[in-house]
Amino acid sequence: MKESTISPGLLTVQRVVAIGVLFGIWQLIIASGTMPSMLPGVTQIFAGIGETIVSPLFWEALGKTLLAALTGWVLASVIGVILGLTIGSVRFLDRSSNILIDFGRSFPVLALMPVVIMLLGSNSIMEIVVVGLSCLWPVLVQTIYGARRQESAVADTVAVFRIPVMLRFRRVLLPSAMPFIATGVRISASIAILVAVGVEVISQAPGIGRQITLMQQAQRWDMAFAYLFFAGLVGWGIAALLQLGENRLLKWKRQNDD
Amino acid sequence: MTNSTLKAPAPAAVQPPARKPSNGSGKKLLTSTWLIVVVVAIWWFASANSTNFFIPSLQEILESLVRDLGNGVILGGALYSLTNLFVGLAIAAVLGIGGGLLFGELHWLRRIFDPIIHFFRSVPQAALVPMIIGVFGMGQGPKMGTIAFACMWPILLNTIDGVLGVEPTIRKFSKVYRIPRMLHFRRVVLPAALPQIMAGVRVALPIGITVMVVSEMFASIEGLGFFILNSSATFKVPETWAGALLVGVIGYLISILFVFVEKRVLRWYHASGAQ
Amino acid sequence: MTTQTPTTEATQTAPLLMKVRGMSMSYGEGAQENKIIENLDLDVEFGQFISIVGPSGVGKTTLLRCLSGLLRPKAGTIEVSGTQISGPHPDLAVVFQDYSRSLMPWMTTRENVAFPLQGKGMGKTERNNLADENLAAVGLAGQGDKFPWEMSGGMQQRVAIARALAYNAKVLLMDEPFASVDAQTRFDLEDLVLDLQHKLGVTILLVTHDIDEALYLADKVVVIAEKPATVVDEIITDFGDTRDQLATKADPRFAEARARILVRLRKD
Repeated sequence: MKESTISPGLLTVQRVVAIGVLFGIWQLIIASGTMPSMLPGVTQIFAGIGETIVSPLFWEALGKTLLAALTGWVLASVIGVILGLTIGSVRFLDRSSNILIDFGRSFPVLALMPVVIMLLGSNSIMEIVVVGLSCLWPVLVQTIYGARRQESAVADTVAVFRIPVMLRFRRVLLPSAMPFIATGVRISASIAILVAVGVEVISQAPGIGRQITLMQQAQRWDMAFAYLFFAGLVGWGIAALLQLGENRLLKWKRQNDD
Repeated sequence: MTNSTLKAPAPAAVQPPARKPSNGSGKKLLTSTWLIVVVVAIWWFASANSTNFFIPSLQEILESLVRDLGNGVILGGALYSLTNLFVGLAIAAVLGIGGGLLFGELHWLRRIFDPIIHFFRSVPQAALVPMIIGVFGMGQGPKMGTIAFACMWPILLNTIDGVLGVEPTIRKFSKVYRIPRMLHFRRVVLPAALPQIMAGVRVALPIGITVMVVSEMFASIEGLGFFILNSSATFKVPETWAGALLVGVIGYLISILFVFVEKRVLRWYHASGAQ
Repeated sequence: MTTQTPTTEATQTAPLLMKVRGMSMSYGEGAQENKIIENLDLDVEFGQFISIVGPSGVGKTTLLRCLSGLLRPKAGTIEVSGTQISGPHPDLAVVFQDYSRSLMPWMTTRENVAFPLQGKGMGKTERNNLADENLAAVGLAGQGDKFPWEMSGGMQQRVAIARALAYNAKVLLMDEPFASVDAQTRFDLEDLVLDLQHKLGVTILLVTHDIDEALYLADKVVVIAEKPATVVDEIITDFGDTRDQLATKADPRFAEARARILVRLRKD
């Protein structure tokens, strides 16, 4: 695919113009009066963003959301990798757990919220559990794929040299499944933020999600939009960062692959 | 079939590895189901004498599920929920595929809008619920709109990837044989991108179901989400569990149904072993 | 270029179907400029079978992309039937090297062959009939409902040839069309193409790195070499209309011509 030679500067200008056009359309829609009057105009959204960024409340909420998301994500990654390597390397387990895993990953964990709240209460432990349950599946499924794809030559080598189980796990299975694991872990990181905010919206556990509903109930639509904006921005930043990290980490893999 | 995410992972990961056909389908069935039986059995017996008010026995859960299915309480709610889901998904598919074809074919447009697309797909779907419903009200329309908005991004991104992945030789062919633009779109680009588009829809499904439930939990007097939340608010614990379980089963059935349809639609893709 | 050898006398008399003059192609600009082809001339007569032979990496693919209108040369002219081309032209059809990628797996073989005709605005029955006719011409009668991936590589390449024939172009450009099939299939396909050319009188321009193939098929072999690539030799073969994989290749003139090409290519 040939990319034409557009200078980065010009591209940035084009992008800024595009964003400006979108804002313009938004403002036109507001001005046309066809939309409900609560929708904030462009200036109000900018004011809201400005107000949010200096508000300690926002940073506190952001911190809480990030902490819950991070904890759930890390727990899910560790459990998912260990479980996934085990399942993926034992054919019998793999076949047996297939339906259960398919069921689990298609389960909308947020629908389970009222049950989890009944069991654990509306607190950060509950939030971490729900985030963890949501993040587990991509890691688990990807790890199983990675472990399954073990080259038969490698498997034979391991058998011939009678490599002990733990050593095999650590030095053979884990590295060869690494590209898949990395993908799973990256995917679940985005999910972690999304779910954490979702949990806060439904359960009123403290965090960005709760702030959005509070602002909306207080009719501060500009602030609600600002919070939503930052929630998106954080998710975007994390996704971009992890993609970058994965590309670096797996450079050798890309070279071998294509 | 790996993705349960916003964007399908690298194509390599999407391909299920070829499985050896197992001899003896009875044995195969047994291997794939015993664990589920064991899990259900453990749940059944472990919860049978539960004294915790919040953990009813599985028997109670199933009884309330059967009862409410029988008297139409759940069925009406499920119909309402699924209508929202499918209308929302249909809108998302039309916008996502249409936009994806456009952005995939027009490099300059994609380069300009790339950051904006990635920003929107990073907005937490569940957080849209209070916003959209707060502004547009509790009706069915806003719920469908929220589902559509949340499901659109994975479909859009996957369609773009699919269009970019169209075999260069086929593109050359289209040019040399001077295939008209619309025909090229309809018969070349769209089918070539279809596997990736289907992967996007598969990713969108659980997102859609989640938003469906959340939107009903947040503000509704109908639907499965309302049933679950209402049961929990009135301390009908078995009903709460039953509702959550049902949503899970529905989610699973829809994904199975989708895989079935996908296999049909993409017969050429699976049979040709194209990557 | 200086190595340009005096060529045939036939070119002056017969009307030209395709005329290339002073064609140059390069990628990049200024100091970065990478010249691929320089000052290339080519004459194609009606009904002629021309092989363009050159070592791998000499720029054969770039040449073919220019000739098919996919790339616009930096300098020079390409005329088809007396008019200069500025892009893909209805008088030109291409058979791509990679049959498995140029056929669309979601279409049956009939649909694959008929598809460019649909693009021309032809009605359904008419284009399907034409597709079936051309499938029969390449030895695939009654196979129209099969999908390409249900066929062997050789059969797939026959479908691609049928597609090019059905398009009813005056010139068939073939880009190493037999490079990815096994030897026996390759001979079969070569004979099929020769047979089709005599029966239908199409003009064929074949690009290959295989000297034997180039000689066996062609009325005229154009040798390109050097960097940037240009025509270093042209050889008119004279093996007649009926050729045989064994007899023709055993002909002393065949060996002589092959030696001449080898010398030409080795010199660079």
